[in-house]
Amino acid sequence: MGSRASTLLREEEIEEIKKETGFSHSQITRLYSRFTSLDKGENGTLSREDFQRIPELAINPLGDRIINAFFPEGEDQVNFRGFMRTLAHFRPIEDSEKNKNTSTSEPLNSRTNKLLFAFRLYDLDRDDKISRDELLQVLRMMVGVNISDEQLGSIADRTIQEADTNGDSSISFNEFIKVLEKVDVEQKMSIRFLH
Amino acid sequence: SSSSSSDSDEESLSEGEMAALKEEVEEKKKLVATLRNKPWRMKRRLILLEAQEFIEKFEGALGKGKGKKLYAFKVMMTKKFIKFKRDFENFKTAFIPWEGKIKEVEHFGSSVASYFIFLRWMYGLNLVLFGFMFGLVVLPEILMGLPYGSIPRKTVPRQEQAKAMDFSVLFDFGGYCKYSFLFYGYYDHKRTIGVLQFRLPLSYLLVGVGIFGYSLMVVIRMARNSNEGGDGADEGEFTFSWKMFTSWDYLIGNPETADNKYASITTSFKESIVDEQENQKDENIHLRRFLRVLANVLILCSLGGSGYLIYFVVKRSQEFADMDNDELSWFEKNEVEFVMSLLGLVCPPLFETIAELEDYHPRIALKWQLGRIFALFLGNLYTFLFALFDEVNAKLESEKTIKNATEWALKEYRSNYSSYFNTTDVPPPDVHPADVIRGPCWETAVGIEFVKLIVSDIQVNYLTILIGDFLRAVIVRFLNYCWCWDLEAGFPSYGEFDISGNVLGLIFNQGMIMGAFYAPGLVGLNVLRLLCSMYYQCWAVMACNVPHERVFKASRSNNFYMGLLLLVLFLSLLPVVYTIMTLSPSFDCGPFGQEKMYDVVMETIEQDLPSFIGDIFGYATNPGLIMPAVLLMRLAIYYLNAVSKGYQQANIDLKKKMQTDEEKNRRNNTDSTNQVMKDLEDLLPDKSLILPPTAETKSPKMKPGAAANGKGVNLQKDVSLAASNPRGVVTRAPGPRSQPPGNARGPKPGQGRGRGGGRPPRQ
Repeated sequence: MGSRASTLLREEEIEEIKKETGFSHSQITRLYSRFTSLDKGENGTLSREDFQRIPELAINPLGDRIINAFFPEGEDQVNFRGFMRTLAHFRPIEDSEKNKNTSTSEPLNSRTNKLLFAFRLYDLDRDDKISRDELLQVLRMMVGVNISDEQLGSIADRTIQEADTNGDSSISFNEFIKVLEKVDVEQKMSIRFLH
Repeated sequence: SSSSSSDSDEESLSEGEMAALKEEVEEKKKLVATLRNKPWRMKRRLILLEAQEFIEKFEGALGKGKGKKLYAFKVMMTKKFIKFKRDFENFKTAFIPWEGKIKEVEHFGSSVASYFIFLRWMYGLNLVLFGFMFGLVVLPEILMGLPYGSIPRKTVPRQEQAKAMDFSVLFDFGGYCKYSFLFYGYYDHKRTIGVLQFRLPLSYLLVGVGIFGYSLMVVIRMARNSNEGGDGADEGEFTFSWKMFTSWDYLIGNPETADNKYASITTSFKESIVDEQENQKDENIHLRRFLRVLANVLILCSLGGSGYLIYFVVKRSQEFADMDNDELSWFEKNEVEFVMSLLGLVCPPLFETIAELEDYHPRIALKWQLGRIFALFLGNLYTFLFALFDEVNAKLESEKTIKNATEWALKEYRSNYSSYFNTTDVPPPDVHPADVIRGPCWETAVGIEFVKLIVSDIQVNYLTILIGDFLRAVIVRFLNYCWCWDLEAGFPSYGEFDISGNVLGLIFNQGMIMGAFYAPGLVGLNVLRLLCSMYYQCWAVMACNVPHERVFKASRSNNFYMGLLLLVLFLSLLPVVYTIMTLSPSFDCGPFGQEKMYDVVMETIEQDLPSFIGDIFGYATNPGLIMPAVLLMRLAIYYLNAVSKGYQQANIDLKKKMQTDEEKNRRNNTDSTNQVMKDLEDLLPDKSLILPPTAETKSPKMKPGAAANGKGVNLQKDVSLAASNPRGVVTRAPGPRSQPPGNARGPKPGQGRGRGGGRPPRQ
């Protein structure tokens, strides 16, 4: 597995990716082999259909949005660098990094950046706020037609009521962070490498 | 630095780490080599041992020196072992029975699935109990004991033999059933049986009591486990937000599982909605209180009524027993069980309708309902047992007379024989076992009652599901085409799965199994019953029921049902223990021939175990010793209780501390790193030893002379230099050196990210 994949990936590239994302050498080669197994067209890039082939993503109500997060604005193909850049958000936080303070440039996998990734899945229009309509869309996707519209509306209102602290009837990023304060985001939003 | 590098001990190292490690090892080697030349005290040189260990440990990792092959081998074996463990875990989960079925049922909501998980757990428990009973009591008797027909207790009496094979008799557990290994009466009271000298009576007693002990232990263990999973942060604050953002399980890849997950998310939202609605209702206190009191009075009346009914019916059954069997209709013969099952069927809905008066929050109403059903079942069981007790006493009386008669007959026979043949050596009377006069074996009678009770319980349960759910669903579905109103939406519509009723039924069933002391076959029967129930109820739920409209769990954790189970087990233990201790066993049936059943234990102690153990037991049962022991146990309970409370308090305090620490960290960046540095400082054995390597890595460009100078000068210098670097050396590749080497002597702010940042430079 390892040796065949890394012949296609040059050492300098690995070094660059390492610097950019913080993954270790073995982790990068592992992810590269996953990338190539997804890349059915063998042209070094992934399209949206390639991602749809992953069953867990296809079933996920937010699957399309997650896939979109991999593709930069307006493009339809993503190469390995782009792939790694997005996956960098999911790098596990090592114990040695846990006590680091939040100074100027945070690593891509800090808790705040993980939460920002999740936030962007909900905030489609990128106005840094999750509005009631966006919540309704997500609810509709999660629940289908089993709950009536007005009940969904009241769920959305209740959610905003719980989270909103500055009274603008939408959830800003800081409020989002506060809501998920007690959730173990570092562990849930991390790739579990097996060794 | 060995303390900090020990975390990355046996794992595979990345290249950067390997390089850093290499440097460390080189430095230590150099140190060791040059140690002799240094004018240090002995104490310092002894620290060398540490350095030596470090080299040996890590040289292997770097592929040099003696340790290389061994280290590589160890690493490979560890990896293989981890992989093997993982595969084995996956393999094991494939063996969990009914996992697929339960996942299907989860579509109905987690409560229904939790009922089936509970059922599965019960099945496991009963399987173990069955193993004990079967392996240690039934099997030895069958294999090594006397066969059927050899002694009186194992033979059907002559009067009954004509009918012994009839289905109706067998169905009532008379005839051949009664005189088989299923019941107490079959077992022989010889002290040891077979080639292996297996002590059956002792085994019987110990297994009978051990079954209780095991059940109690297992339930307590379950209760403890379920407690650990539950408590964490308080759930109340962000219920809806969490449900919204974190309820999806991203590891689901199977479409069916995804459907189940969608359904359970829906149910969970509905639950929360109803919860919210309930919290906002208004109250009118006085009317409410009056209604509640009224409801409780009504329910007490009905409980009393049902208890009296049972007593009355059992008394009547005793009268029937005196009459000839043929004249009784089926109904009269099975009146007791019929009435008890009927009560169990009718009263809970009655309680529910009365409870409408009370108008509680659904969760609280559910708890009250469960409590009342509990009281109902308990009352019924105990009334039944009391009524049975009268019967047992009556049998004991008649037994005495029969026993006297038998002894007298034997004496007569002996005296006749010896006077006729003029010898003293009298052979036993040559009577066919079926003709011997028998005492009424009260234990078997009690066993039969228990078995009949459980069988009728099973019958009623299955019939209810068949009629109440299946037939109803069929009628609603097909009659709907030609009926005036909409059967599906209005009355009667499809049934809902009554979780609490079913769980209670299961719990009480387990309580009644404790009658297995008098009927060893009962446990096997129960295992079969649970197996069938699993499939039958799974099918019934999926085919005939609809998910609940209002969804509520009785409690957040499983502990409620576990506590109930514990209580029921304990309460059903009491009658059996009472009978063991006070009543004397029948003289001609069952494994106990002594005055009291527990005498068999005494006998074993006296005869089989060495004499001093008998003495020990004698002393131990002295009241003078038992009272202090009881006192000690109470003190121990009190102490453990206090300790556990202390731990809980400490837990809360620690949580608070963690929160305040986190906040402090966020506010005050530099302070946190200082704390970390301080901790590291404290860990270092002797800081001066670390200085030379530090100076070298920090400033490889320095001339050797300057390095030596640095070493020589910094030995007496402040410690902060050492403290600022240990992690940097081992865990990270050397970062960009922003300061010229000369400044290595004193730490400056901004020297490296987070390294001794806020401290004033000390010279």
